[in-house]
Amino acid sequence: MTNKKTQHKPQTRRAPKAFKLDDSSVRLEGEFAQEPLSSEAVVSEEDESALALPQNNIAPEPKPAVSRWSKIIAIGGGGLLSLAIGLAVDSLIRDLFARYDWLGWTAVGLTVLAFLGLIGLFIKEWRSLSRLEQIDHIRDDLQTAADNDSDKEARAALQKLMALYADRPETAHGRTLLIGHTQEIIDGRDLVKLAERDLLAPLDARARLIVMESAKRVSVITALSPRALVDILIVLYENLRIVRRVSRLYGARPGTLGFWRLARDVAAHLAVTGGMAAGDSLVEQFIGQGLAAKLSARLGEGLVNGFLTARIGVAAIQTCRPAPFIATKGPSLSELMSEITKSAPDEVADQD
Amino acid sequence: MSPLNSLFKNARLALTDAQTALDNFAESAVDLTVPTVRLGVTGLARSGKTVFISALVHNLIAGGRLPLLDAAGTGRLARAYLQPQPDDDVPRFNYEQHVETLTKERLWPDSTHQISQLRLTIEYESATFLSRQLGGGKLHLDIVDYPGEWLLDLVLLRQDFRQFSKEALKRAKARPDLSAEFLSTLARHQDKLHEEFSEDVARDLANTFTTYLSRCRDDENALSMLPPGRFLMPGDMKGTPALTFAPLDLGSTQVKPKAGTLLAIMERRYEAYRKHVVRPFFKNHFAKLDRQIVLVDALTAINAGPAALDDLSQALTEIMGAFRPGKSSWLSSILSRKINRILFAATKADHLRREDHEHLEKLLQQLVQQAINRAEFSGASVETLALASVRSTRQATVHHDGVETPALLGTPMPAETIGDIQFDGEEEAAIFPGDLPEDLSDLFAEEQDRTEAEDQTALKYVRFRPPKLERTAEGLTLSLPHIRLDRAMEFLLGDKLA
Repeated sequence: MTNKKTQHKPQTRRAPKAFKLDDSSVRLEGEFAQEPLSSEAVVSEEDESALALPQNNIAPEPKPAVSRWSKIIAIGGGGLLSLAIGLAVDSLIRDLFARYDWLGWTAVGLTVLAFLGLIGLFIKEWRSLSRLEQIDHIRDDLQTAADNDSDKEARAALQKLMALYADRPETAHGRTLLIGHTQEIIDGRDLVKLAERDLLAPLDARARLIVMESAKRVSVITALSPRALVDILIVLYENLRIVRRVSRLYGARPGTLGFWRLARDVAAHLAVTGGMAAGDSLVEQFIGQGLAAKLSARLGEGLVNGFLTARIGVAAIQTCRPAPFIATKGPSLSELMSEITKSAPDEVADQD
Repeated sequence: MSPLNSLFKNARLALTDAQTALDNFAESAVDLTVPTVRLGVTGLARSGKTVFISALVHNLIAGGRLPLLDAAGTGRLARAYLQPQPDDDVPRFNYEQHVETLTKERLWPDSTHQISQLRLTIEYESATFLSRQLGGGKLHLDIVDYPGEWLLDLVLLRQDFRQFSKEALKRAKARPDLSAEFLSTLARHQDKLHEEFSEDVARDLANTFTTYLSRCRDDENALSMLPPGRFLMPGDMKGTPALTFAPLDLGSTQVKPKAGTLLAIMERRYEAYRKHVVRPFFKNHFAKLDRQIVLVDALTAINAGPAALDDLSQALTEIMGAFRPGKSSWLSSILSRKINRILFAATKADHLRREDHEHLEKLLQQLVQQAINRAEFSGASVETLALASVRSTRQATVHHDGVETPALLGTPMPAETIGDIQFDGEEEAAIFPGDLPEDLSDLFAEEQDRTEAEDQTALKYVRFRPPKLERTAEGLTLSLPHIRLDRAMEFLLGDKLA
């Protein structure tokens, strides 16, 4: 903390000063008259967070030397491929022109159309990827803000978070609350917690619901389905659907590439946390469900599949959520599973 | 009217009586099951106890902005209202008047003259399933307010007259500019020590001693370590023999004074003071506490300079020493209930820029380090924070002659000065109080080697008037603004409202 502060503190201490507000030589920035008293009249804030380096006690890892050769190969190969495609298209159009002129022109038109579509697709994918990246950034920022308990960092990150949800009307109430909080003097860590509670809590509840639904469906269908192939397809479909729905819920709009990146992240997350899960809840779950599994192999299989789906769901929530879990622990597997096994009859009753 | 009829009527009357009694009993039984939290608001004089209590109660009753108090932030707090207090022999905390003073007249409440009590009942919805079924969703919060000066008497519990005299004279001699009159009076009467007691001499000594103490307390000196407390804030004890004594220069003589001499009577009065004033106060009001908040006003001490700061630190250490758990402490024997959460709060954080809050917190930690260690050792959880029960300033930046200065915007109290400017208490001003130094030992040590240039940069915390409260379109007054009051409440009460 100390080295951080000294960087932007003036070296000499400044003398106390007073400015009477009717003094014409004094200019206060901002419009105090319009602001309620409880709010802050923060004016032209110095961007101290840019100067303040995060406290690092861990040596940075040296970056691996980037291999130029693979890049060169990629450029060369990609270029050749593009040329081949271009040549093919070109010769096709030439051939068409040789037969009839109008056929040639139609081909040209179609080519332009395809090209435009390609550009549009690129832009969309690029935007969705950058949005994913933005979410990752916000999460990291909020985490560091909470770790350093720095309110400047927290405020900046919360601004971004609110911008992320600006076009989501259902978050309006949470955003209004949060704007109120940022105008008070509240410490950084507390601000992040408040954001979690006021803005993200409804989304978290919905995300849990999504995961529960899918896990439940998977366990029911695998318990009933006659063929293993159907099981596999259903599990795959539901898992991909969870990732897509959860990411959309938290504000990402994954396109194809973005979706694969997300899926990869979720898988990576699973790999990281997998050991842990197997360590506690997995064993616990299977001992607990052992009886049910013994009663029926199919039922047991369904539960296992449901469990795996829930696991992916939890990983998806943790990957897609634009804030770390600080105030709450986040959804846990055992909690989801017990709810799945418990609420199955309720669900039936609800649907009646 | 037949006898049967009247019998019937009587029986019915008896039944009604019985029913009323039963109802009353049931009511009080329900009342007994409502959990009660006794919050001890501890602090030296002018540390802001009364304002803290008023703001806490007002924010709960008026539904103020308390996002960090979990029950309020998540909307589980149904309502809070004042109820008759449990102890009938203690005056009620005059909440309504204090809030009126704060909001309408925009003045800080006068210093507290006597002890008072308040019971606030909070209705809430529990967040856990089990306590929703079992608990009544109610909590009584009992708060006690008392003059901060009295707290200093805690130190006297461990000192006899000889020790008290020695300590008091040592302190008096260290402040010759303030104690000259008292010391000369004492010297004049020195030879009467073993002569027959005369009320005139005793009164003379007590009066000059009191004058000396109150001079120490003035703003420009802001000293804290000034026992006995009732000399400064006598309450209803003014003029009683128990308050008409003074420390005497006993030298190193160990002879037991003869009965009837000045020395003997003074000693007896000191013992009477301890027995009839100090002990009952602490026994009645410090026992039974569940939670404790210790308010510390470091800013006034910083204003007055290193001596005052040193004195404050000493006073806090002495006071918190009296709360030491274990057999050696007399107090621990009556503290049957265990205080399991203690919050140390540096008050008046609104008089500082937000960047300096962290430093203020650090300064506070330094001041109460020993007390924190002790409390943590005994198993209580401890937290420190910078707090403003009522926030009277806003943060702003001033552009002046091309220089940007961070400042605080508020209405300074009348007759406050900074540099050459004097304030009239009506107009708003932007004030930059100076930078709180990075290295806090600067604050303690700079007395000797302070140059003139450094004198110019000495910190100056101007006192501000309470804020003007905005009204909504419907004419509702908004609740009092604050800094971290909700966090303090969450620490002190959060688990009881879970």
